[in-house]
Amino acid sequence: MYKYILETAGNINWMALFALLTFFFVFSMSIYLAFVKSKEELNQVANLPLAEDDPIKNLQN
Amino acid sequence: MSKVETFSYDNKIVRDFGIATTIWGIVGMVVGLLAALQLIWPEFNITQYFTFGRIRPLHTNAVIFAFVGNGIYMGVYYSLQRLLKARMYSDLLSKIHFWGWQLIILSAALTLPLGITSASEYAELEWPIDIAIALVWIVFGLNMFGTILKRRENHLYVAIWFYIATWITVTVLHVVKNLEIPVSLFDSIPVFAGVQDALIQWWYGHNAVAFFLTTPYLGLMYYFLPKAANRPVYSYKLSIIHFWALIFIYIWAGPHHLLYTSLPDWAQSLGSVFSLMLIAPSWGGMLNGLLTLRGAWDRVRRDPILKFMVVAVTAYGMATLEGPLLSIKSINAISHYTDWTVGHVHVGTLGWNGMLTFGVLYWLWPRLYGTKLFSMKLANTHFWLGTLGTMFYTIPLYWAGWTQSLMWKKFTPDGFLAYGNFLETVTQIIPMYMVRTLGGTIYVVGVFIMAYNLWKTAQAGSIIENVEASAPAREKYVPHKGEHWHRWIERRPIQMLIGSAILVLIGGLVEIFPMIVIDENVPKIESVKPYTALELEGRDLYIKEGCIGCHSQMVRPFRSETERYGEFSKSGEFVYDRPFLWGSKRTGPDLHRVGGKYPHSWHYNHMLEPESMSPGSIMPPYPWMLDQDIDTTYTAAKVKVLRMLNTPYPRGYEERAVSDLQRQARKIAAELNEQGIEQENLENKEIVAMIAYLQRLGTDIKPKQFTEN
Repeated sequence: MYKYILETAGNINWMALFALLTFFFVFSMSIYLAFVKSKEELNQVANLPLAEDDPIKNLQN
Repeated sequence: MSKVETFSYDNKIVRDFGIATTIWGIVGMVVGLLAALQLIWPEFNITQYFTFGRIRPLHTNAVIFAFVGNGIYMGVYYSLQRLLKARMYSDLLSKIHFWGWQLIILSAALTLPLGITSASEYAELEWPIDIAIALVWIVFGLNMFGTILKRRENHLYVAIWFYIATWITVTVLHVVKNLEIPVSLFDSIPVFAGVQDALIQWWYGHNAVAFFLTTPYLGLMYYFLPKAANRPVYSYKLSIIHFWALIFIYIWAGPHHLLYTSLPDWAQSLGSVFSLMLIAPSWGGMLNGLLTLRGAWDRVRRDPILKFMVVAVTAYGMATLEGPLLSIKSINAISHYTDWTVGHVHVGTLGWNGMLTFGVLYWLWPRLYGTKLFSMKLANTHFWLGTLGTMFYTIPLYWAGWTQSLMWKKFTPDGFLAYGNFLETVTQIIPMYMVRTLGGTIYVVGVFIMAYNLWKTAQAGSIIENVEASAPAREKYVPHKGEHWHRWIERRPIQMLIGSAILVLIGGLVEIFPMIVIDENVPKIESVKPYTALELEGRDLYIKEGCIGCHSQMVRPFRSETERYGEFSKSGEFVYDRPFLWGSKRTGPDLHRVGGKYPHSWHYNHMLEPESMSPGSIMPPYPWMLDQDIDTTYTAAKVKVLRMLNTPYPRGYEERAVSDLQRQARKIAAELNEQGIEQENLENKEIVAMIAYLQRLGTDIKPKQFTEN
């Protein structure tokens, strides 16, 4: 097993840190975006699939 | 108030994809059943075109790209139009997409049994088909983005975010994975070799699961589950966090397929950590799906569609908990190469993809045909057959996986392998394979019942090809002073989503970058040389016959493996392997150190009739290798391409490649003759090339006295 292969490949420790920071940024942004949306807007978007009348509602068993 | 516009939704294309998913689903699953039977009774390996090695990729491609693929398009084309209040951008593009995809499936169904394969799991199709896939995928993208642009609804529902992320990521995966140089119309050589090819493969393979089998189906879940339950999703906030966290984390997890291999530890650890993190968004999504049914559980008892969806979402939760657990190195040490992985995969495909597809089909069909479902009773029967079939399929495979792994690793008190003969660990699990086949049969019977039910439903109604609808035209957004900056981005949803998708692909790039750096840093082992022309042709036969489906070429650094197979595998040994052939399943033993282990005659007899050398073996016989001549038409071209990719063949070797091949073949034929094998023109036969390759495997770093016999 060539365990230390990356040590010979230059300084790439930034990658681990970069991965963590990017993830933290994306995750924080998604939480922020989710919570700054108004309740009205969220309700409106959440109901989009139900906006259309069900064409066979009256035919349901 | 905007002017109300009237338009129509295209239902015909939805119906066409629905029929395709049903038909290809049956085909793919029946082929899977054949593969399961072959693992119990090798007699089911009928002719060279239907051996397990060729059938397995046919099964996986059929269920992934034909069954699930058409299922995705069916759901996307229905939901996208309604969520955006717009007909698909172009009927012509819809038609090209549909027929193009079916032609691709058909070409896969023809080429894979013929042994035309690139040996990369889930990307086996050769380069002309790869190009066709790219073109049809672009057509799908144009149609989807065109519809988004002409939409009448300002907001993009979260399902559409999942569709867009799917499209962008699959595009990138497909292009990077299939970077290859054609040798002929049906053969190509990948640009990456050995450990790099392995990382690219599983970066692709894992994300094919993530972005073809998961994200588009999550989009379908977010649309069809609220529709079927007639209530909005439990938490839209949670769905936003689910989306971003899931697509970002998924892209990093690929290396968990390569734990304990020659891949650098850094990449392995990255894959493990991100895989564990995946539990959070995956379970967020599962809970969001299940909680959507709060207050409607009484309906779940009565409505088979909701039952299918509940089992699908639960299976998604189970598979996405199990996957991260399998990515923990100590668990992976037990599970990898065993049937545990096969069981895990089928919780996802049978449970999640299958059951959700069936639920959506049952929901859609009456609406497409303007009638009631022919039989709720049959749908309920199908539900129970599907659920029981999944359980009868997966539980025996978990049992088989644990049994076999424990047997591989068991030592006697004296320090010897308790089951030194690999075959003992195979015959032990045959009863589990039988129960698995029963489970698969139950599941397939259910699908046949569904096809009948849908057919009768269609007969009772008539297809409503165009559904009239009306909606106000989209109002132009007027920005106002002091608004939040993120409003600006949300006004441009396509730019935002494309940009975000590219951002999350950083994960893939950061993983691949070290591998490119490694290209210069993989320790070159002086004794590792390129394959000879005959070995190259033998290797291509190994690929053609799909040996990789049952044999790995990666000895992990465990005592139980080095005792059984020999020295563990080093990354420097694979620098000339295009494609890499490490494999991911050991139905048969690892072959990386098989070179020099047996005489040529053993291989000759073993390929002719495996049971003659290994009584009880379930390996298919390959008698045609003794009759068919080695095809040297492209030998020189292969050498030329390999040299272009820095394989250090001597100058002009391509010109004498065929004569060198014949020389080595004559030598092996003469040795076979000395060992008692008599056959006319043996030196021209494929078996000789196969023996040359097998005898070379793993010998480059073996001390010479062990190889010269």
